[in-house]
Amino acid sequence: MSGRLVLPAVALAAGLALLPGCGKSGEKPVTVGVAFETLQTEYWVASFETLKAELAAKNIKVLEAVADGDSNRQLEQVNTFITRGVDGIILVPKDGTAAMPMIEAANAANVPIVLYNRPPARKEGKAVAVVADNRSITRDTVKYLCELAKKTGKKQKAVLLMGDLADLNAIGRRDGFDDAVKEYPDAVEVVARVPTEWNQEKALAGLTNALQANPDVGLIFTSSDFLFPSVVSALKTRNLYHKAGEPGHVLLGGFDGDATAYQMLKDGYLDADGVQDMQFECMKSVESVLKLKAGEPVPDLIPDPGFVIHQGNLAELAPRMWGSKVKK
Amino acid sequence: MRDLLTLPAVWVLAAVAAVFAALSPQFLTAGNLINVLIQSSAVGIVATGMTFVLLTAGIDLSVGSVMFLGAAVCGVLVGGGWPWWAGAVAMLAVGPACGLLHGLAITRLGLTPFVVTLSSLFVIRGLGLWVSRTRAMNLPDDFRQLATERVLGVPVPVWLFGVVLLASQWVVGRTRFGRHVLAVGHDAAAARKAGLDVGGVLVRVYLICGACAALGGLVALAQLSAVSPTFGRDREFDAIAAAVLGGASLFGGRGNVLPGVLVGAVTIQTVYNGLNLIDADPYSYPVITGGVVFLAVLADSLRNRLRGGRP
Repeated sequence: MSGRLVLPAVALAAGLALLPGCGKSGEKPVTVGVAFETLQTEYWVASFETLKAELAAKNIKVLEAVADGDSNRQLEQVNTFITRGVDGIILVPKDGTAAMPMIEAANAANVPIVLYNRPPARKEGKAVAVVADNRSITRDTVKYLCELAKKTGKKQKAVLLMGDLADLNAIGRRDGFDDAVKEYPDAVEVVARVPTEWNQEKALAGLTNALQANPDVGLIFTSSDFLFPSVVSALKTRNLYHKAGEPGHVLLGGFDGDATAYQMLKDGYLDADGVQDMQFECMKSVESVLKLKAGEPVPDLIPDPGFVIHQGNLAELAPRMWGSKVKK
Repeated sequence: MRDLLTLPAVWVLAAVAAVFAALSPQFLTAGNLINVLIQSSAVGIVATGMTFVLLTAGIDLSVGSVMFLGAAVCGVLVGGGWPWWAGAVAMLAVGPACGLLHGLAITRLGLTPFVVTLSSLFVIRGLGLWVSRTRAMNLPDDFRQLATERVLGVPVPVWLFGVVLLASQWVVGRTRFGRHVLAVGHDAAAARKAGLDVGGVLVRVYLICGACAALGGLVALAQLSAVSPTFGRDREFDAIAAAVLGGASLFGGRGNVLPGVLVGAVTIQTVYNGLNLIDADPYSYPVITGGVVFLAVLADSLRNRLRGGRP
């Protein structure tokens, strides 16, 4: 080595030694791969950032991958994680079925895998799912709305905006809605179930059509808060968008806990919202992947009980609602 | 009128309308028919641009992403304090710009339209997500005026759809450029030998498609008054379905704007509307909608085979 190259080489070696995770001689830093199917909603972006922050706080190196809705690409990304020798994988699959080959690949390589917010379609292979209890959170939210409907003394016509029928979360929310309204046959009558495919334009058209058929709808529940702009637009067009307590107010409920729902709650238009406890789910996902790596037992399913936020407990629960922290 | 009655989709639309009219008393009310037209406007405008592209045997898979990028730019500008109309103008500028780039990539780099627009479907949506930082953005109520205002009793989206249809029909049926578009679609090599500027025609066609995507996006955005990261997703399929339902061939050289796109867009929306009105089982929507589209396209294909033309 020429004299001119010795100094930079020494500096480089010293620099490498100072990099995070390289400080302890010979000890390989713990690495976790985080693979998201998409970042196309605020919930996924906020989850991605929270997971990374949670891992960074534990000095864990993070490999990131986003599949832009392509399950095949996500399988390749998971295989790449395995090839690069990750110590664990946290995965958001497109749906439960798409997760199955990824679980199989991780199991074959003996790499712990945790599914965040979306459960696997079948109980095959070893994987932990940290999932909001969509059914029970929705049931509690809709029951709250049904109680409000009951207080009006009139049987209210209800509309459900459903999510993608291939999404188990959407199905769980639909079932939770059905569970609740069944308990209030004298207060609520479901007149329309609008499939939205998680598409705002379809939600707007579908709700507008439902209001055309039933102009006296008194209760609307959307399976995701991100469809609220469609709900608000359809109601405004028919001059039905009023604050809670005002004459002509249509009872409104949603699911997620996003920033729009938070604002609508603050402004008095939204009656109740089922909130996924994102912080809890991220913390449990990281905790689970580390426990699996250490060989400790972890249940296959860790439910996020979530909570219902409404006009009566807004001040108390707003700090736990993830949408209250999203910068608009 | 003769064109209208020889289009199989018209008979399919009539059959669909008859069924829903029998099942729902609200279906044939004036309010609901206006509803269907308003809801058809955005996709219809995008499908009109798509028809130009299909006439040249091309395709544009990026229109949904163009809608989103325009909406994201508009949302960021309006959120940053710009007046709503300035945001709308910026949104309208995004479409032709994207279309021009598509046209240049196809003609100057010799790439196929499918590859170029498939790539830009991802690139443009990615740019939109970058611009918006994946935030949902609510627009001021002024923006909804575009969707709710009526001129001579007709909602603005329906006016816009009508103007785009009439202007496009005039361009395709009555201008030299329209004849060049059809000639390129029939046989690009022969058109080139005949001295046509095939590259110039293609660039203009993609520019028109981009402009229509942005305008259709604006109409949809005005109705929602909010930009979400999923805005415009999968709209390319609706636009292609509406154009093909209206008689456009994926092999180029055949198709029309009036009555084709109007009938195609309204047929698709009528099926959704009718299913909503009768509160159909949510699982039946894709089956029935796909079945109706298949029937109309099959009938059109059979008709063309009987005439000895291309399917």
